[in-house]
Amino acid sequence: MSAKTRRIVAGVSGLAATSFLASCAKDAPQDTWQPKGTNAKIIDDLQQPVFAIAGVIGVIVFCAVVYCIIKFRDRGQAMPEQTHGKPALEIGMTILPALILAGVGVFTFRTVFDLSKTSDTQMVVNVTGQQWWWEYDYPAQPELGITAPIITSGQMVIPVGTKVLLRETSRDVIHSYWIPALNGKRDAVPGRVHTLRLDADKPGIYAGQCTEFCGLSHANMRMETIALSKEDFAAWVANQLADAKSPAENTLAKEGEAVFLNQCVRCHQVNGLKKADGTPAIAAPDENVWSGAAPNLTHLMSRNTFGGASWDLLNKKCRADVWGASSETVGKKYLAGVSEECLNQTDLRRWLRNAPAMKPMYADPTQLSSTNGKYRGMPNLGLSEDDIDKLVAYLSTLK
Amino acid sequence: MFTPGSKFFLGLTGFSLAVCVLYIALVDNATGGAVALLSIAAASGVVAGLSLFNRDGEVAVGDTAAPAGAEQLSSSMWPLIASVGFVGVVAGLITHPIVFFLGLIALLAAGTEWLVQSWSEGASSDKAYNASLRGRMLHPLEFPVLALVGLGIIILSFSRVMLAVSRDAGAIIFIVVGSAVLFVGAIFALKPSLKKTLVVGICVASAVGIAASGIAAASNGLRDDLVKAKKEHHFSHKECGEEEGEHFDHLAEGTISMRSNPIATIELRDGKLTARELGVDKVTQTITFPRSNDATIIFRNKDEREARLTAYLGTKAVQDGVVEEVLNCTQMIGIDHEQALTFKIAKPSMASEKPYTLTVPGLEGQSIEIMVP
Amino acid sequence: MAIIERPATAGGVEIAPPATPSRAQGGFKRPVSTTGWKSWLFTVDHKKLGIMYGVMAMFFFIVGGIEAVLIRLQLAAPEGKVLSASVYNQMFTMHATTMVFLFVMPMAAAFANYFIPLQIGARDVAFPRMNAFGFWCVLGGGIFINLSWFLGGAADGGWFMYAPNSGPIFSPSHGVDFWTLGLQITGIASLTGAINLIVTVLNMRAPGMSLMKMPVFTWLQLVVQFLLLFAVPVITVALFLLSFQRNFGATFFDVSAGADPLLWQHLFWIFGHPEVYILILPSFGIISEVLPVFSKKPLFGYPFVVFSGAAIGFVGWGVWAHHMFASGLGPVSVAVFSISTMAIAIPTGVKIVNWTLTLWGGKLRFTAAMHFAIGLIVLFTIGGLSGVTHSVAPSDTQQTDTYYIVAHFHYVLFGGAVFGLFSGFYYWWPKMFGKTLNEKLGKANFWLMVIGMNMTFGPMHILGLQGQPRRMYQWTEARAGEGFFNLGFWNQVASVGSIILAVGVLLFIINVVKTARSKELAPLDPWDSRTLEWMTSSPPKEHNFDVIPTVHHLDEFFHRKYQQDPVTHEYKQIATAEEILADQEAHADKHIHMPSPSYWPIVLAATLPIITTGVIYSIPVAIVGGIFLVLAMFGWALEPSTAPETDFDPPAAGESTKELAPLV
Repeated sequence: MSAKTRRIVAGVSGLAATSFLASCAKDAPQDTWQPKGTNAKIIDDLQQPVFAIAGVIGVIVFCAVVYCIIKFRDRGQAMPEQTHGKPALEIGMTILPALILAGVGVFTFRTVFDLSKTSDTQMVVNVTGQQWWWEYDYPAQPELGITAPIITSGQMVIPVGTKVLLRETSRDVIHSYWIPALNGKRDAVPGRVHTLRLDADKPGIYAGQCTEFCGLSHANMRMETIALSKEDFAAWVANQLADAKSPAENTLAKEGEAVFLNQCVRCHQVNGLKKADGTPAIAAPDENVWSGAAPNLTHLMSRNTFGGASWDLLNKKCRADVWGASSETVGKKYLAGVSEECLNQTDLRRWLRNAPAMKPMYADPTQLSSTNGKYRGMPNLGLSEDDIDKLVAYLSTLK
Repeated sequence: MFTPGSKFFLGLTGFSLAVCVLYIALVDNATGGAVALLSIAAASGVVAGLSLFNRDGEVAVGDTAAPAGAEQLSSSMWPLIASVGFVGVVAGLITHPIVFFLGLIALLAAGTEWLVQSWSEGASSDKAYNASLRGRMLHPLEFPVLALVGLGIIILSFSRVMLAVSRDAGAIIFIVVGSAVLFVGAIFALKPSLKKTLVVGICVASAVGIAASGIAAASNGLRDDLVKAKKEHHFSHKECGEEEGEHFDHLAEGTISMRSNPIATIELRDGKLTARELGVDKVTQTITFPRSNDATIIFRNKDEREARLTAYLGTKAVQDGVVEEVLNCTQMIGIDHEQALTFKIAKPSMASEKPYTLTVPGLEGQSIEIMVP
Repeated sequence: MAIIERPATAGGVEIAPPATPSRAQGGFKRPVSTTGWKSWLFTVDHKKLGIMYGVMAMFFFIVGGIEAVLIRLQLAAPEGKVLSASVYNQMFTMHATTMVFLFVMPMAAAFANYFIPLQIGARDVAFPRMNAFGFWCVLGGGIFINLSWFLGGAADGGWFMYAPNSGPIFSPSHGVDFWTLGLQITGIASLTGAINLIVTVLNMRAPGMSLMKMPVFTWLQLVVQFLLLFAVPVITVALFLLSFQRNFGATFFDVSAGADPLLWQHLFWIFGHPEVYILILPSFGIISEVLPVFSKKPLFGYPFVVFSGAAIGFVGWGVWAHHMFASGLGPVSVAVFSISTMAIAIPTGVKIVNWTLTLWGGKLRFTAAMHFAIGLIVLFTIGGLSGVTHSVAPSDTQQTDTYYIVAHFHYVLFGGAVFGLFSGFYYWWPKMFGKTLNEKLGKANFWLMVIGMNMTFGPMHILGLQGQPRRMYQWTEARAGEGFFNLGFWNQVASVGSIILAVGVLLFIINVVKTARSKELAPLDPWDSRTLEWMTSSPPKEHNFDVIPTVHHLDEFFHRKYQQDPVTHEYKQIATAEEILADQEAHADKHIHMPSPSYWPIVLAATLPIITTGVIYSIPVAIVGGIFLVLAMFGWALEPSTAPETDFDPPAAGESTKELAPLV
């Protein structure tokens, strides 16, 4: 290769390398190469050397081909030696990759079993996927302060440094729970229970997405796992165990409660909500929704996303504040919930006005013959702007 | 071969059929239009057949080699069958529908055969050529129909015999008849020199024998235990108490017993019921069951006697005021066996007066509580 | 000279000919024309069928490509509005289905049908009517699947159609029914084709051609046919279970009845993994022919390439659950399949080594076909290496269902399978059509496709590793990360790349049209090739070879042209292709026995869409279709494979029997 060609090649490869290294997004929330928990680190420790080996092999093959193209081009030479092969070389080139892969295989084998260990679990959360949102049921675990079951959705809160076991299942089709910063994904299959271990090193908001195609709004089925310090977690648990308080009389929120009892309680449960006659209002989503459940809204404003975690309850400024907080301050900011000033009025109102227009769902009452008239998703309730005002006021009290 | 007139009507038949299919697919409430289009298809089909039959009414065109009009007629049974069919159709209207349908089938078969035979006899003056023509058109229809009818009679007759005799006798008959068929078939294959009349005689005799025994068995009816099972709905109910059902419990197990990833495994050992939830290491007396979601538990019997696991899943209103318990249960599970049980609980525990439980009927004081959040 | 032997009269005794009229008004005369549209509709000639397979596959390539461009347009901007969620889901399902089942498989079948008989020195395949039936089935099935676009929406459950999402409750439109039943029809075609080609290769090779003297293309296609033979029944079962659940109320995937949805996944992937080898091995075979010709050296390590192909065929059955690493199988299964997936990388890697060593020390001519072949080596290696990173199961739980997987399979399928097919086009065009495709346009075609391909699928590696899942109808700014090179940027680059790729494909179409219009004929042996199919006229006569060659060497044609001087070890040309062909024609066989055209294959194939339409809309229609199916099967069985005398119009006085027109 001439000096000029060498310089060109060097320049191009240098440019390629730097642009490749700079070509990634900063802080992509679902980056798989930024582990923030033990299991994700185990995976990362294994995948980095494998990628390196693959890269090296790729470069070798590419260079070999380029070399052949340049050195053996037709320059009028005689017909070349008709070599049929060199068995020794070929056997060698079979054994070499086999050895490399055997090495990778041994480490892979160990890692698979390491990641499947469940005997040292410290906390259990039952995760249920449903078109198109996630429900979390924390069974009673008195040693963690959870004296009665907690039901929440969208954002799953766990204490830091705790080995949490998710027991995943689904109510309809196959979904997949994936928080890249904390571990690989595991499918949630109806009729089966699958286990996935998560633990976070530091407090933070870790984003994830459903990663098994589950129908119309698969792209709008997201979730976050929030890790809080142990004290913050205890505070969160205490709040979740409390029932919702009825708003004061003669407030807009009280009127909103009436609208809620009229429309929403058919599907959505609010613990502590009482009907006009004083009996507890128990939601009956199994009669209205095909998959039998709708998100529990008792502490809606203690989370900061809604609609399958696809829209923010926080407006832009507050969201940047909470989501961009450092691990020291994120706990306090998260526990503060969604205040009146921080509420994302636009998106919440849009949802209440016409949810199917915002998130594609099977909720058109005229097209539900295959599900015997039951909805798959939230329908357009035809609420007036007045009703929406009242509802927003009521929902804001569900902290 | 297709004369212009017949081409037109065949095309019309095909076209209206195709339009009819599309119409049914694309239009709601398609009955009227579909009937109309089908009628057009049927009518033009008939006219097409007629014009094919008489070649558009033209004498053979440009045919100088041999006048096709010098038809060499051969004998045919189809006029006879057609008349039998016609009588059957009329008589069946008065007597029994079966007669009507058999007559209709005979009419259709005779009509097709008669039509094609006549038509092929007019094709040329060469008898062999005409016969091969008829064969080319009708063999693809005759062979499968005859095969179907023949096989149908044999299978139907044999099945009536199996249903009439006792279980053991049935097994013996099955083995004997099967071996006989195999044996005779092998002889036929290995000795092609056997006289044709002998082979045909054996086949006809066997077919008649099977058909006759089938008719006899059918008139006898089902054997006693099958009659009883039908009357008492043996194969469709469940017993969820202490009773030991003879039927439900001894059927091939109604659900699978080996499956992976059930939500919990319930074990009966030494008179004690315990549970293990998947992913949780400890043994418990309470399991968490998902709300409104079908889930499976496995019941494992390690005790010294047969036992059944019954799930109490709340109540449901049957009529005004009448409320019924909802129970689901496994069969009686033998020692060291297991069975899976799949069920759904729609309402949370707090909505039920009595807690949801898993119990073994007859075993006091042991239960696993099902907690539905 | 008589080309078709007419049935001889018995023994020498004078039998008066039958008195058939000159225009017998007979029923359903057998088609015998050799020119015109009837000769294509009723043909059983493997070459005509190969061309029809190719035209159909090219059409569906463009359809699938349009679907892909629409997907990329939707993903070019955040919260795109080009396609609604429902249409997007249909679009990606149909894109994959069309590309896999209606483009790559039929195109590989096109090459197999055209060239396997020529490469083994045979005159046609073993079962010519079944060959025709297979083509009409694929065409009927392909049209049937795509009818769903106009009849209520196409299938929208993803090309692997996981249950229970594909069941009647969650996919209420008829789209999935069209998909399921249409694939059953194309599956029948694959099975009959497989049986046909296996019997052909095992029984009809020219004298002297042992299995280890067979060209590599034929060898790898033979492995593919065995893979099809065992894999297609598995998906047939899966499709039956699904269609019975959807149409007749079965509960195979119904959790409340005790079913396990993973059954579908296992059945699909036991088919699906051998399927990807079915897609790639034909292209491997094509470049194993192209690289030696344009390096002027034989393929390096022929036995290793053949045995590694067979090894892939075997080991490929033991890796299916690597598509299910995140499906909850349990650590034992996951670990075992992880190891077996690493194992299968080895025979694939062996081939890369052998191809590179074929180039080494050669005399390389860079025609368009060679460009595509070398492109395959590089691009497939990239795709294969990303595949090795997936074989590490823990790492795969982060990568699966993201764009990283999309990048992997597009590199191996587009950079591998498609580039191999294009290499085959440029290499074999002169043999099939008598004209060479324009080389300059071909190279431009190549470069646009390479640049477009890398621009489209390269960034997908980054997108996937940075967390963008697949099958999302839109992406949002909120999860795209910060910085200029965020996920949004790479999505836009990929979309621009797809347009460049589309232009590249367009150049190929332009090249085809330009070549068809040009008057310049190609020489008999434009590339100085090595295998038997080049020892014929361009295009080959209907009966392929005037005399069946006797084979003494691997690369028989090369050895007839060149001889090595035992002293100087130099290669001298001893004959040209034209001389060899003239020699053949001078010693032509006297009695060449060719199968006759027939209408039963297309009639039988036509009954299948009628049955499937009936299953969806109206059972009586299905029953009628079934009756016609049985009729057609018996009609076919009762028809002799070669037409009897009476089917031919007797010659007018003074005229000799008609010669078959050559393929044009």
